[in-house]
Amino acid sequence: MTAPVFLLLAVLVVAAALTVVAHPSPVYSACALVVTLFLLSVFFVALDAQLVAVLQVIVYAGAIVVLFLFVIMLLNLTQPESRPTAGVPVVAVAVGGGIGIAALVAAALRRVPPAGAPALPEGFGDTAALARRLFTAYVLPFELTSVLLLVAIVGAVGLASRKG
Amino acid sequence: MDATQSLRYFGPELVLTAAIMAVLALDLGLTARGIERSRWPGIVALAGAAAAIGSAVRLLRVPAREWLFGRMLVFDGFSVYFKVLLGLALLAAVWMSLGSREVRGQPNEGEYFTLLLSSGLAMLLMAAAANLLMAYLSLEFASLTSYVLTGFLRHNRRSAEAALKYLIYGGVASGAMIYGMSWIFGLTGSMDYAGIAAGIAQLDDPSRGAFFLALVLVLAGFGYKVASVPFHMWAPDVYTGAPIPVTAFLAVGSKAAGFAMLLRFFHFGVGAAGPVGAVTRVPLLQLGTLLCAATMTLGNLAALSQQNMKRLLAYSSIAHAGYALLGFVVFADAGVQAVLFYLTVYYIMNLGAFWVVMLIANATGHEDLPSYRGLAWRGGALPALALAIFLFSLAGLPPLAGFVGKFYVFGAGVERGLIALVVVGVLNSVVSLYYYVRVVKTMFLDEPRAEDAPVHFALNDLAAVGLLSAATLVLGIRFDWLLARVETARRIFAG
Repeated sequence: MTAPVFLLLAVLVVAAALTVVAHPSPVYSACALVVTLFLLSVFFVALDAQLVAVLQVIVYAGAIVVLFLFVIMLLNLTQPESRPTAGVPVVAVAVGGGIGIAALVAAALRRVPPAGAPALPEGFGDTAALARRLFTAYVLPFELTSVLLLVAIVGAVGLASRKG
Repeated sequence: MDATQSLRYFGPELVLTAAIMAVLALDLGLTARGIERSRWPGIVALAGAAAAIGSAVRLLRVPAREWLFGRMLVFDGFSVYFKVLLGLALLAAVWMSLGSREVRGQPNEGEYFTLLLSSGLAMLLMAAAANLLMAYLSLEFASLTSYVLTGFLRHNRRSAEAALKYLIYGGVASGAMIYGMSWIFGLTGSMDYAGIAAGIAQLDDPSRGAFFLALVLVLAGFGYKVASVPFHMWAPDVYTGAPIPVTAFLAVGSKAAGFAMLLRFFHFGVGAAGPVGAVTRVPLLQLGTLLCAATMTLGNLAALSQQNMKRLLAYSSIAHAGYALLGFVVFADAGVQAVLFYLTVYYIMNLGAFWVVMLIANATGHEDLPSYRGLAWRGGALPALALAIFLFSLAGLPPLAGFVGKFYVFGAGVERGLIALVVVGVLNSVVSLYYYVRVVKTMFLDEPRAEDAPVHFALNDLAAVGLLSAATLVLGIRFDWLLARVETARRIFAG
C-alpha cells in the first residue's frame, strides 16, 4: 500500500470512528461503525491477511452491526435524545492525552526506523496456513474461547430468563 | 511442550471443564423432566471443585518447570500453589452457596453453578498464563462470569445495578489493558513473557517512555482485578449487590488470581531483564509505591464510616489489596513469598468473615450493623465469637494468622528499604482496628433491644466457620508449616 492511499484510508477510518462516538443518533453511529469496520478490512487486505479481512466484513460489519441495529430499533432509540455533553476540562484532558500519545508514538518511531519486514512465509494469510496455526500453536486459546462462548450463552440465558 | 504432552500438567483445568459440562448436562436433564429445584447441580459442582483441588495437590509434588501448550501457559510451583488456593476458594464458594438463602431454591440454580465453576476455571488459567493472549483471554473469561454472577439475584435492583456497574468499569479497564498490551507487543514483537523480557532489554531511551505508558495501561487491568486504587470504585457496590457467596469468591478468588497475574507479568515478563529489571529503567517502583500507599489509606479511611457489613468488608478488602501490593512493590522473591503467605491468610480470615455475615443474613435477613446489636446475647454467641476472631485477624492482632501475614509483608518491605511505605502500612493497620473493633463491640457490648429477635443457628451450618476460625488460630502460631509451602512456590518460572 502506497503512502497516499494509506493516508487517505487512515483519514477516512478515523473520521468514521469519530462519527461513531460523536453522532447523536444511535442508528447513524451504527452505520458509521459499518464503514469503520469495512475500511479496517481494507488494511487487513493490504497486510496480506485476506481471511481476516473477509471475516471482518462478514462477522463484524455484517452480523454484529446488524444485531446492533436490531437492538437499537427494538429499544426504539431512533429519536436522538438530549444528552449531557462533556465539559471543557474533560474534552481538554482527552485531546491533550491523545496528542501526548501521538507524540510518544512519533518519538518512538522516529528513533527506531522500521526495519525491513522479513519476507512472508509461503501461503501467509490463506485459510490453510491460518487453520494450521490455530490448531497447533494457538489450540489452547482457541478451545478456551469455545468454552467461554458456551458459558456466555448460559449466562445470557440465565439473565434473560429472570422475568419468568 | 506441545499440546498432548501438556495435558499431563493440565489436570485441575480438565477436571473443572468436565465438571462444568456435567453440571450443564444435569441441569438440562432436570429441566427436561420438569424438576425445577434440585440440590444435585450444587453437589456435582462441589465434587468437581474438590476433584480439581485433589488434582492440583497431586501436582504440588511435581518439580517440573515447563512451558505448556507451546508458549501459552507455564507450569511451576507458583502456578500450582495458586491453583490449590483458587480451588479452595471455589470449593468454599460452592459450599457457601449450598447454604445460602439467596441462592438455594432459585430456578436458575444450575446456571449459577455452571458460571461459578467456569469462573474458577478462568482463574486457574489466570494463575498460569505467561502470554499476553492467554492473560487477556483468561482475565476476560473470569470477568464475564463475575458480571453475570453479580447480577444473579432475581428481582433485586441492587444486584442488577451492581452487575451493570461492574460491567462498565470492567469494560473500561480491560479496554485500557488490551491497548497497553498491543503497545507492548508492538515494542517487543512478542506475546509470550520470555520474548517480552528479551525485547525490553533492547529498548532504547525514547521507547522506554512508550513502554512505561503501556505498563500503566496494563496495570489498569490488573489493578481493577485486585481492586487497587484508582480502579477500586466498582468494589463496594459490587460486593454489596452480589449474593454473599459470590462476594466472598470475588473477594478472595478474583483478588488472588489478579495478584498471580500481576506478579507473574512483572517478575517474568518485565522483570527478567536485569537484576530487578525494568524497575531500574522506568519509574515503576515510584508508581507501585504510590498505588500501594493510596490503596491502603483510601480503603481504610472509607471503611471507617460504613454501616453495611458487606460494604465494610469491601473497603477492608481494598485496604488488604494495598498491604499485598506492598509485597509486590518489593520486586524480589522475598516479596513474592510475602504476598503468597498474605493471600493465603487473607483467604482464610476474609472468607470466614463473609461466611459469618451470610449465616447472620440467613438468620436475620439483614446485613447492616444495627442488626448485629447484642448478637452474642441472643443466640448467636458462636458466630459472633468466630466473626470476632476473623476481624481481629484482619486487623492484624497477634497471635492470629493476620498478624503473621502482615509481619512478613512489612518485613519484606523493610528489607528492601521501603521504610516510609511500611510506616504508612502500620499506621493504616491501627486505623483499621477502629472499624473492626466497632463490629465486635456491637455484637458483644451493646445490649439487644426489644425489637431484636433471638436468632438460631444450626450447628452443622457452623462447621465451616469453625474450621476457618481454627485455621486462623493455628496458623497464627504454627505459621512455619505454611511458610515452608510458600517457600517452594515463590520462585516464578522465568524462561
